Amino acid sequence: MEKIRIGIYWAASCGGCDVSLLEIDEQILDVAAKADFVLWPCATDTKYADLRAYKDGSIDIVLFNGAIRTEENREIAKLLRDKAKHLVAYGSCAQMGGVIGLANLSSRKEIFTTLFGAKTHWPKEESIQDGYPLHLPAFLDRLLPLGDVVEVDYVIPGCPPPREMVSQFFDALLGGKLPEKGAVFAAEKNLCDECPRERREERITRIVRPHEIESDPEICLLDQGIICMGPATRGGCGAACPMANMPCTGCAGPTANITDQGATMLNTIASLIGTGLEGEEELEAEEAILAEIDDVIGTFYRFSLAASIFKGAQRE
Amino acid sequence: MAKLNDNGFEPKIVAFLCRWCSYAGADLAGVSRMTYPANIIPMRVNCSGRVDAGMVMAAFEKGADGVLIGGCHPGDCHYVNGNYKTRRRVILLKRALAEVGVKPQRLHLEWISASEGVKFQRTVTEFTGLIKELGPSPMSGDGED
Repeated sequence: MEKIRIGIYWAASCGGCDVSLLEIDEQILDVAAKADFVLWPCATDTKYADLRAYKDGSIDIVLFNGAIRTEENREIAKLLRDKAKHLVAYGSCAQMGGVIGLANLSSRKEIFTTLFGAKTHWPKEESIQDGYPLHLPAFLDRLLPLGDVVEVDYVIPGCPPPREMVSQFFDALLGGKLPEKGAVFAAEKNLCDECPRERREERITRIVRPHEIESDPEICLLDQGIICMGPATRGGCGAACPMANMPCTGCAGPTANITDQGATMLNTIASLIGTGLEGEEELEAEEAILAEIDDVIGTFYRFSLAASIFKGAQRE
Repeated sequence: MAKLNDNGFEPKIVAFLCRWCSYAGADLAGVSRMTYPANIIPMRVNCSGRVDAGMVMAAFEKGADGVLIGGCHPGDCHYVNGNYKTRRRVILLKRALAEVGVKPQRLHLEWISASEGVKFQRTVTEFTGLIKELGPSPMSGDGED
């Protein structure tokens, strides 16, 4: 039987997604038996010239991790779209910009000034290094999710994608049972649906961070005043973070019925916060509770800013 | 649209008005033949609590320079506490807008009852004046906050 040709690529990425592929334990042996890796910059040596030489559509499936931050990321994304039969946004960054999408709150100028200082120290796109010309890819004004640049066929969400989802994907791929285009390899319902913690429908009277209290492991984190993104986030990870006494931060992205993950979570928190009484006289107390949220965008859009309605800062 | 005002800018303002109070207040302003700027685009919602954060963001994304939410006075909500939910939402939304560089004054919440045609007129006039001063929203494509 002809082997399945898999390509794996990283764009603006931390490398965690590449490592997460190994989390499927011995299933990796099945993958190796039935598939060839024709591109995997993290693990093998493939030159772009080799990739360009592949025929269009000759790679069965490409797992693309990382966001689009540079012109190179964008160029390779387009190239891989041509070479691949199926293109998968793998991980939060490819799906919706991820944590690094929060860089969209700063302009290119602000980022470069923080990194390199005065403009004379900024790296140049064209320069001569040790007598040889060096070309650096242009840094885009705004970080983009993969789907903003090319058409994406499937999504495997997560930061990095948890074992269950990766395993489910390889089962489908190796069994020749890839779902319809547009499928997301995660649960349809939100994280709360699979979280074993007990929801007591308490009002949030104060907001705390996980290290500030000794939380009860049996009770919903929201009930205890810890902001948990579970209500607005896709399940499928088995509520891994709440099970480890940490709140969900929303890495799997919104459920199918939610367009803007942060907006939905903002609504949720606004509805839950309160002193237990409703009325005009409660306004001050409510404002004091809301003021405990330090960073609204960073809390509600930790992974999804680049794919949200805002997309980033509006000042440019 | 003809640009006849002082600084030549006619803002687009989306107004989410609750069916029971503020929309009725707008009706009263209308039947009383009160005049107010034609910049607002009224959207009737069943309750100010129906206005979720995504709707406000979508209004800005689609070119609104300001968003006005009108709800029942505290204690008067037809659904008991929808207006309180919106009040908390607006506090968070204003902070989110500020963090992405949109002036939070572009979002305004006002309690307007069915009998307050005059307050509706005043609110719309003042808010339109404020948005004219602020200029186009950065989210509508040509502004800078």
